[in-house]
Amino acid sequence: MKGIRNCLWPLCFSLALIAFTVYISLDTFVISRSYDTDAVGMNTAMFDNLAAAENEKKAEGSAATAEARQEGVDPSVRTATPQPDEASSDSPERDVYSSRSVPERRSNHGFGPSGGRSARGNQAPSGSESDSASGADPSTAYTGDTAYQDGNVAITLTTYEQNNTKIYVADITVTSAQYLKTAFANNTYGKNVTATTSSIAQANNAILAVNGDYYGAREAGYVIRNGIVYRGTATGSDVLCVYADGTMKIVNDREFTADQLVEKGVWQAFSFGPALVEDGSVTVGVRTEVGRGMASNPRTAIGVVDANHYVFVVSDGRTDESEGLTLYELAQFMQGLGVQTAYNLDGGGSSTLYFNGRVVNNPTTTGRIQERSVSDIVYIGKDS
Amino acid sequence: MCTSEKTLKTHLLGNLAGTVFLALFGAVYEMFSHGVYSYWMLYAFAIPLMLGVIPYTVLLIRRKFPQRAFLRLWSAAIAAFSVGCAFQGALEVYGTTNRLAIIYPIAGGLLLTAALASVLFNSRDEQTQKNTPCRDTVR
Repeated sequence: MKGIRNCLWPLCFSLALIAFTVYISLDTFVISRSYDTDAVGMNTAMFDNLAAAENEKKAEGSAATAEARQEGVDPSVRTATPQPDEASSDSPERDVYSSRSVPERRSNHGFGPSGGRSARGNQAPSGSESDSASGADPSTAYTGDTAYQDGNVAITLTTYEQNNTKIYVADITVTSAQYLKTAFANNTYGKNVTATTSSIAQANNAILAVNGDYYGAREAGYVIRNGIVYRGTATGSDVLCVYADGTMKIVNDREFTADQLVEKGVWQAFSFGPALVEDGSVTVGVRTEVGRGMASNPRTAIGVVDANHYVFVVSDGRTDESEGLTLYELAQFMQGLGVQTAYNLDGGGSSTLYFNGRVVNNPTTTGRIQERSVSDIVYIGKDS
Repeated sequence: MCTSEKTLKTHLLGNLAGTVFLALFGAVYEMFSHGVYSYWMLYAFAIPLMLGVIPYTVLLIRRKFPQRAFLRLWSAAIAAFSVGCAFQGALEVYGTTNRLAIIYPIAGGLLLTAALASVLFNSRDEQTQKNTPCRDTVR
C-alpha cells in the first residue's frame, strides 16, 4: 500500500506530461483547423486604384496638351509633363509598368547568371530553344514543354547546373501583377490544411506554380493573399510584398500593419525569408540559414527583375545528383539573374516547381523523390 | 520526512539516464535534420545534468538527504523543463511554432518554486519544533 502511495505522484505526473506532449504534438503536426473554408476571394481594389490614378494622369496629360495648344506652344516641347508611358515621372514605376501591354518573350540565354559561373551554369535545357515562341501571336496561347505565352503572360523555363545542384528558373513576364496569384490547399485557410503543390496547382488551373511560404506551420507572420488579409500578427521579421504595380519590396512587419500594407497596394505578402537580394545586392551572409547551421538544401525563391517581370527559382537537393544550395549560393545565383529583389520561400522537402501539368524538379520527402504537402502555392493561372 | 540514501540514489540514476537519453536523442535528431539544428535540442541534456545529476551527487557526497516532497517536486520540474526543451528543439528544426509550448517552462517554474518553498516551510517547521519545549518538561 505504501509502495503504491509512493509511486502515485511520479506516475500521475509522468502520465500528465506524456498526455500533454502527445496532444501538443498532434496539435502542431496533425490536427487540422480550418479558419476560412472558402478562401478564394480576391480584393482587386488596388488595381482599380492604380487604373484610376493612371487615367487621372492621362487626363492631366491631355488637359496640359490641350492647354499648350490653346497657348500656341508646341506640346512636344513640354517634356516635364508626366506621360503615362515614361519611366521618369514623379511616381515612378507603378504607373509606368501597370500600363505595360503584351509581354515580350525572353530568350533562354537572355537572363542567365553572369560572372564567375561555371560553363555548365549557363546551359539551357535541350529543346528549350525549339519551344521558344518569340514569333508567336501574343493573343494566342502557346504552350510548350519549357515555354508558355498568351496575351498577358509569357513564361520560359530554364535549367541550370551549378554548385553540384540542378536549378530550375521560370522567367515570367506579365502585363499586370494581378496574374501573379496565390492559392491555399483545398481553398481553405487554416492550420495543418495541406495538399501537394501540383494538386493545388491543378485545382486552380495553374500553368506554373511553386510552393509558397507554408504559412500553416507558423502561428504568426502576415498572410496577405490576393489582396485579402488572412493573418495580421507581426513577428518582427521580413515580409515580401508584391505590389499591384508589379514591384516587390521587403518590409519589416513591425513597420506596417497588414491592413496598412493592403492600403499601400500590396497584392501578396509572404512571411518566410530571409531576403536574399535587395536593390540588386546580396543581403545574406555566407553563414546565414533559415534555422541554424549552414546547409545545402532544396530551395524555392521568388524575385523581381523589374516591374511585372518575375523569376521563380527552385533548386533540387538532398540527393546524389543534386547537393542543394546554401542561402548565400541561392542569393548569388539570383543576383546573377539580374533580380532587384529576391526572397526565400519555404524550401527543403516543400520545394516544388510545377509547369504545364507536371512537376519539373525532384522534390525530396523523407529521402524519397516525392512531393510534400504544403499549405499554399504561388502561381500563374491559365485563365489569366 | 527526509529521504533515504537509496531514494536519493534512485533520483540521481533517473536524472543520469535522462541526461544520456536526451544527449543521444538530440544527436540522432540532428543527424536527420538536414543540417538545420536547434540549440534547444542540442543542449536539452544539460537540464537534468545541471539541475539533477550534479546537485544530487553533491548532496550524496555531503550526506545530506532532502525532504521527499522537495525531491519529487524538483525532479518533476526537471522533467517538465527537459521535455519542453526537446520539444522546442523539434519545433525549431521543423520550422514551426506552437503557443502551447510555453506551458512547459511555466509548469517547470511553478514546480521549482514549490520545491524551494517546501524546503523553506520544512526548515521553519524544524526550527519551531526545536524552540517549542516539551510539555512534560514544562510540567
